[in-house]
Amino acid sequence: MNPRTRQALEFVLDNLVWFMLVFVLVVFSIFIPNYFQLGIFANIIEASSVLGVMSIGLALVIIAGHMDLSVESVAALSAMAVGILFCSSGIGLGVQLHPEWLMVPVSLLLALAVGGLIGAFNGFLVVKVRMSAFIITLASYIWVRGLVLVISGGRSAQDLAPAIRWFGIQRLIGLPLTAWIAIACFVVFSLIMAKTPFGRHLVMIGGNETATFRAGIRVNRNLIIAFVLAGAIAGLAGWLLAIRTSGATANLGVGLLFNAFAAVVIGGVSLKGGVGTLPGVYAGVLLLSAINTAINLMGLPANFTQVIHGLLVLAAVLLDAFKQTIRQRLA
Amino acid sequence: MSEPLLVLDNVTKNYGAIEALKGISFSIGKGEVVALLGDNGAGKSTLVKIIAGGLEPTSGRMLFEGKEFLARSPAEAKAAGIETVYQDLSLCTNVDVVANFFMGREITRKVLGIPVLDERAMEAVVGKALASAGTRIPSLRTNVEHLSGGQRQAIELNRFVHWGGKLVLLDEPFAALGVEQTRRGLDMIRQVASQGIGVVIITHIMQQAFQVADRIVVIRQGVVAGDVARNKTSPDAVIKMITGETLSGAGPAG
Repeated sequence: MNPRTRQALEFVLDNLVWFMLVFVLVVFSIFIPNYFQLGIFANIIEASSVLGVMSIGLALVIIAGHMDLSVESVAALSAMAVGILFCSSGIGLGVQLHPEWLMVPVSLLLALAVGGLIGAFNGFLVVKVRMSAFIITLASYIWVRGLVLVISGGRSAQDLAPAIRWFGIQRLIGLPLTAWIAIACFVVFSLIMAKTPFGRHLVMIGGNETATFRAGIRVNRNLIIAFVLAGAIAGLAGWLLAIRTSGATANLGVGLLFNAFAAVVIGGVSLKGGVGTLPGVYAGVLLLSAINTAINLMGLPANFTQVIHGLLVLAAVLLDAFKQTIRQRLA
Repeated sequence: MSEPLLVLDNVTKNYGAIEALKGISFSIGKGEVVALLGDNGAGKSTLVKIIAGGLEPTSGRMLFEGKEFLARSPAEAKAAGIETVYQDLSLCTNVDVVANFFMGREITRKVLGIPVLDERAMEAVVGKALASAGTRIPSLRTNVEHLSGGQRQAIELNRFVHWGGKLVLLDEPFAALGVEQTRRGLDMIRQVASQGIGVVIITHIMQQAFQVADRIVVIRQGVVAGDVARNKTSPDAVIKMITGETLSGAGPAG
């Protein structure tokens, strides 16, 4: 095989999920009436912002060879914290700050801090106590959701302060600011992963932790940072979720974890660690969103979504194995 | 012997009730190549890990360049100038040759105050290092998982030659290499030593030890069973030290 074809093939394999996304969009546009509209495409991006942001954090930890099952509950807790403080009805306290815009940074920092703290807790236990990330974060997934129920008493907060709501309403080139925040996150974290020593080290830790330790990379420090980032990013997802729903309910975001997992796996991140890129994850998120939109437009019962997502994850894992075989042939 | 670079003084290591090292004492000079020999389970790899910061000794002390030395992590050992090539390769197969070569020591440039990987500069350095060692790898941007065992080991060897430091520990570095590559590897060791760097090489192959080492240290059941200059001993004598038939030549070399 000459180097050209080989390079082209490698390129296709590396970006397979983008090709799948384009393929799916083309097929839907042809066969589903009314699918091919700018409004629909904008809607696909808009609907994927919360899931997208959450998937970034999850992907970081998985690429580093670990796992964070707590992101969904962390997002819910952050959303509830913001909701309780800045909502004016339900269990909302309706805290007012002057000037009003001050509520934006304060609520955002609160959400990030809540997430970051739980992330630090997870990371500390995983790294220092050397327990499996799966178990630690499964526990967090449960107790953090429990905390949401406790502080809300099972009730909800509504009517988020307009100054914060503004991010969900104000549009720029057809997309609400919340969607732009998600896109910006993907750009920033993609650059961090691809271009900085920190990102490079995370990928290498995911590939061979012993080797990186022997090479003098501060593995523990990097891993804790990854968990803190995953938590903080989940907090941001919670903030976006609160804006989107203009408040918070006790069961806010239930099921997002599995969608995030699906997006990450479909996006080409290997659960074994060390493999995958964030642009791929974004494509995975968009792919899920595109399919959801198609299901809505076709008027299928929403329950089908879950079946299709499950099959999609299965397909992604099989595809990953298939890609491995091709790569081995190439080498 | 030249000025000692690293001195081990009665270093021991226990794993629970098992005494892996019962008190090891020997020294390595600047620019000296020491071959560490011993049967399987003699404690060679444990010793290397202690010097390289992967394990902490149970007791005993080490002097590095005349100063009390104890590496609590590989990072500390590296900072002191100790490079290690391990038996099981320490490469991340999921990234490319350049990333592996620079693992933990990437060249960066600041963009808006943020360190950003300078891929072009790194690729140039790796290309040069590999070329001067005569190692051929199709593309420096291929992931290491696609390379052969020999190519992988060549990367590790070139890595230590490039970074050098003050002391190099090699734990069976030639296990996956062919005849020609091994010869080149042995040349590399001499070349590194001629720059005043101390080298400790663990090997099973007597011939290699006699080809490259200035001094041969034999470890048997966790103690130094022999410490002799290469030109004052023979392979047969060393084999007897390894198996424990004789203790002739035991004790530190003059």
